[in-house]
Amino acid sequence: MSLEVLIGAGVLATALRLATPIAFAALGGVITERSGVTNIALEGSMIMGAFFGIVAADKTGSLPIAIAVALLAGLGLAALHALASVTFRADQIVSGMALNILALGLTSYLNYELYGTTGTPADLPTVPPLVIPGISALPFVGEVIGKQNALVWVMFVLVVVLQWFLFRTVPGLRLRAVGEHPRAADTVGIDVRRTRYWAVIASGAIAALGGVFLSMAISGSFTDNMTNGRGFIGLAAMIFGRWTPVGALVASLIFGYGDALSVSLQGQSLGDLRFPVQLLSTIPYVFTILAVAGFVGRSRAPAADGLPYESEGH
Amino acid sequence: MTVLLEMRGISKRFGDLQALDKVDLVVNEGEIHALVGENGAGKTTLMNILYGLYHADAGTIRIRGKDAHIAGPRDAIALGIGMIHQHFMLVPPLTVAENIVLGDERGGPVLDTKAIEARVRKIEEQFGIVVDPPARIEDLPLGLQQRVEILKVLYRGSELLIFDEPTAVLTPQEVDELFAIVRTLRSEGKTLILITHKLREVLAVTDRITVLRAGRNAAELVTKDTNATEIAQAMVGRELHEIRPRQAVGTAPPILQISRLEALSDRATPALRGVDLVVREGEILGVAGVGGNGQSELAQCILGLRPVVDGTITVGSVDIAHDDPKRTRERGVAYVPEDRRVEGLVLPFTVADNFILGKQDRAPFARRGVLDGATIMREGERLAKEFDVRPPNARAIVGTLSGGNQQKVVLGREISESPRLIVVSQPTRGLDIGSTEYVHERLLEQRARGCGILLISSELDEIRALSDRIAVMFEGRIVATLPSAEATEQRLGLLMAGHTEATAAR
Amino acid sequence: MTLASSASPTGPATAPSVRQPTSQWSQGPAVPVVSVLVALLLGAIFVLISGHNPIQAYAALLFGAFGSPYDITETLVIAVPLTLAGLSVAVAFRTGLFNIGAQGQLFVGALAAGWTGAQFPDLPGVVLLPLTLVSGVLGGAAYGAIAGWLKATRGVNEVITTIMQNYIVVFVMHWLLQDGPMSAPNALGTPASSPIGAGAILPIIIPNSLVPLSRLHAGVLLAVIAVVVFWFLLWRTSLGYELRAVGLGARAAAQAGIDPRRRMIMVMGIAGGFAGLAGMIQVSGLFHRVYDGFSSGFGFDAIAVALLGKNSPIGITLAALLFAAFQRGGTIMQSNAGISSHLIEIVEAIVLFVIAAETIVRAIASRRGTPAEALA
Repeated sequence: MSLEVLIGAGVLATALRLATPIAFAALGGVITERSGVTNIALEGSMIMGAFFGIVAADKTGSLPIAIAVALLAGLGLAALHALASVTFRADQIVSGMALNILALGLTSYLNYELYGTTGTPADLPTVPPLVIPGISALPFVGEVIGKQNALVWVMFVLVVVLQWFLFRTVPGLRLRAVGEHPRAADTVGIDVRRTRYWAVIASGAIAALGGVFLSMAISGSFTDNMTNGRGFIGLAAMIFGRWTPVGALVASLIFGYGDALSVSLQGQSLGDLRFPVQLLSTIPYVFTILAVAGFVGRSRAPAADGLPYESEGH
Repeated sequence: MTVLLEMRGISKRFGDLQALDKVDLVVNEGEIHALVGENGAGKTTLMNILYGLYHADAGTIRIRGKDAHIAGPRDAIALGIGMIHQHFMLVPPLTVAENIVLGDERGGPVLDTKAIEARVRKIEEQFGIVVDPPARIEDLPLGLQQRVEILKVLYRGSELLIFDEPTAVLTPQEVDELFAIVRTLRSEGKTLILITHKLREVLAVTDRITVLRAGRNAAELVTKDTNATEIAQAMVGRELHEIRPRQAVGTAPPILQISRLEALSDRATPALRGVDLVVREGEILGVAGVGGNGQSELAQCILGLRPVVDGTITVGSVDIAHDDPKRTRERGVAYVPEDRRVEGLVLPFTVADNFILGKQDRAPFARRGVLDGATIMREGERLAKEFDVRPPNARAIVGTLSGGNQQKVVLGREISESPRLIVVSQPTRGLDIGSTEYVHERLLEQRARGCGILLISSELDEIRALSDRIAVMFEGRIVATLPSAEATEQRLGLLMAGHTEATAAR
Repeated sequence: MTLASSASPTGPATAPSVRQPTSQWSQGPAVPVVSVLVALLLGAIFVLISGHNPIQAYAALLFGAFGSPYDITETLVIAVPLTLAGLSVAVAFRTGLFNIGAQGQLFVGALAAGWTGAQFPDLPGVVLLPLTLVSGVLGGAAYGAIAGWLKATRGVNEVITTIMQNYIVVFVMHWLLQDGPMSAPNALGTPASSPIGAGAILPIIIPNSLVPLSRLHAGVLLAVIAVVVFWFLLWRTSLGYELRAVGLGARAAAQAGIDPRRRMIMVMGIAGGFAGLAGMIQVSGLFHRVYDGFSSGFGFDAIAVALLGKNSPIGITLAALLFAAFQRGGTIMQSNAGISSHLIEIVEAIVLFVIAAETIVRAIASRRGTPAEALA
């Protein structure tokens, strides 16, 4: 087994590519959970974005419109979750699951209706790679990040923006307060419900970007269930990354690296035995359990996360 | 002396409970006003209405002579009213400065930490209240956290500050520091309302006093013209029950001995600071005290529901301090908890099922792990009749019963096993007169049977009617134990409110 | 994903009511029936909008599920593991825990059963079948108990643990069957384990003379027994009493001497056992070996089944039959009426969503304020 297989530029580039959709989901998760709402329907928002972006690209031929539609689709699903969770104080896990199934079913159904068995059309407008002249010329680094898709860079920027937003702005401060101690926020006049609505809806849009990446940047097409659990992996990354944008990115990169390794190590042998690449893929999940159980540092959710807020009295 | 605040005819009802009944409160500008009363008197409800957290059913509020409509905390804050809550409204992972300015950050969307901390420091200087602005709340002791609560209110330019039980979580030194702050605030022209039941504090810092009792006005007093006895009398009232004549106890052997018991509250503050008490067989020891002085924690420690930090709890001759509830029950300890709906009963279960709670794994109710439904039902019906549950239907869902009948189910379950010791906490809270008397009768019956009873109650009448001896609990300790005959209302009231025995024994 | 509400030493803090419907108005079948009807209605509207005939769609659905004896047996073949998985989720709900891991526990049970069945191919059925069954149940139980143990000792939210466990076992299964120790060649060329011995096979119970090609195996009897066991366990044993007490009144149970932590581990083990049995039945009755990625849709459906069936034995059975009918009918609907079988998922999702939203009414009903506020 050569070093190339482990940390070659190719592997790292693949890792970054695989990490990106996970990161989008994780970032969305950070925002909603920081406000105190558990949104496991991010997978659903992702697939909504993936599908409706393709459909809009097909029908309008315009990339910007397609992306806008994708965001709306993901955001719309999240809005339903916000309605159920915040206004009606429904069980957030059940609501999230229902919306996930709805999104998967809906997109598959419409895929069949619109594109039957022939599949989505070829030659749709896609999100191009972003080649930065200075960087792409560099020897090792250039291969890793010099030719990544534009959305990868959007993801990086989003990490920075969200990190800054959460910890360096007033709306971010209020959002965190709402997630930690909604009653305290309520007593100083912050609108807990409205804050949570915005957070959940934003998370849907962010997750949808991850879907756009899958369908409109990498493959240029849509297949049923193409998210394949990445929304959930994103939630694991969020937990492992301790509910911060930067942490979510790091965790997503680690998970993406694990994924890339399992491809790269395929067919390699460890002495006489075939390398159990599939077991590598379990590492993110095992690590998440360990992290949450407190075996690997302390991973603590926002205190009011997942609990519906009832304004007292009256 | 101008009137700053006038609340007139305030009434508020919660379901069946009339929390406030045409209450008046008049506070003058620049004074420190005490709002006093026992648990459940309505003090916090009244202030929550003032702060906009509740809406009154009737009554008016005037600030400086003008009618005020307070729909929520924002309105109250706009009117210059600020509340320092008993359970702090602080966000633990955020810093002092962030908590103070939260909701009123004054500046652009970008969080200018330096500017905010500078502003906070200015206010700290002005009022002489110092806390380190970049410190995280979760790292600060409660006394300092409270200062942050105060600064929050001052930052918003409050003129009228409401303190809800401010010394509940403070050490004696922190209390003195708080008093200094309170006096400074008054000298800066602020008006303060102190909600408290601690007479020592009332006499130490306040100017005038409004006493509430059971949701009504009981007295308006001027501090320098009154004394602890008068205040206590107003708080406690004069409703006397017949004191039943009972045989003298003699010196039976002790069934429960608690020595130097220490334990922490849920918030990790010391709740029990060295409790000593003894309950003898065939005796009722009443533990009197205003709620929140460690009574709940005491009961929980005995039952094994709360870890004991230090000290011993002996039942018979065995130290049960570190036993789990199952083991403790096996020693013959019964428990009537203070919140029957949450701690005493499984509400969606039937009456019969609740009667066997804790006994579901042994004969005759179960054999080798399998329940004997017929026996359970039969026993349920028998107990329902014996303990006057109305209607005596063992299949009824316990959640549908009235409070009194629910309590009878709890009693029936706990008493039917002929325990050696019963720990009873607030047994008649929320019960009608008939049920109350029933509960009292059964407890006296057990006493006559030779059972030892630890009766924890904030109802003085109940304590005095049932107990042979009365121990008064205050701030995690037993401050005095008296024979029932010597425990006059006034004396108990003073002890319960923190007044020392030396003065009370006058 | 909150840790706070699950770390209480006296057990689950508040189980949202949709998982444990106990309030007066939510008793009885009204809400589940209404939610199914609403979902079917909305589904019909959806079909209409997408240019198809809803009556045709639902007719094909019904026909596909129950139209002929063969169809009925096919529906039952799906209903069997679904019922068991539903029992798995429901028994956990009864103790206030959310078992999202039924799928993973099913896989572990299948792997264990598949291994045992293939390891001793020459043992007679009277020995091998029970052995296989027990290994399936124990495998699933052990996997479930891990989540229970983590929750009881370290306060880890079981939702997180079980979701992660689901993924972990999928990858382990990939490894085992693709090129790992359990992989064996087969006619289809897909990754799978060695075939189980003849003694481990659950026989077809309807002879081919009556219903040709029927796949309905003796697992259906096991499922019926499991439903009875579920009922008996929860309502006729001390343990069941304790589990329900912890689920409905954890603090009252604790002060009465019932330790919620031990019960949590126990109930997750039992839940895993039910799901493991489902996995074993799929292997022994249907596939006769473990195929990589088989039977992968039962986990989430099981949650819907448990919620719709209100965690009760009859409700779960009916809900499982309903969802099985949907699934079976859906494939026929697609081939006969040309309407994507994914319509079924949409209908199922709406059912779940309506159930989740039932708390609206409860929230409105409980807004009158409580006396607890006043005792200040």
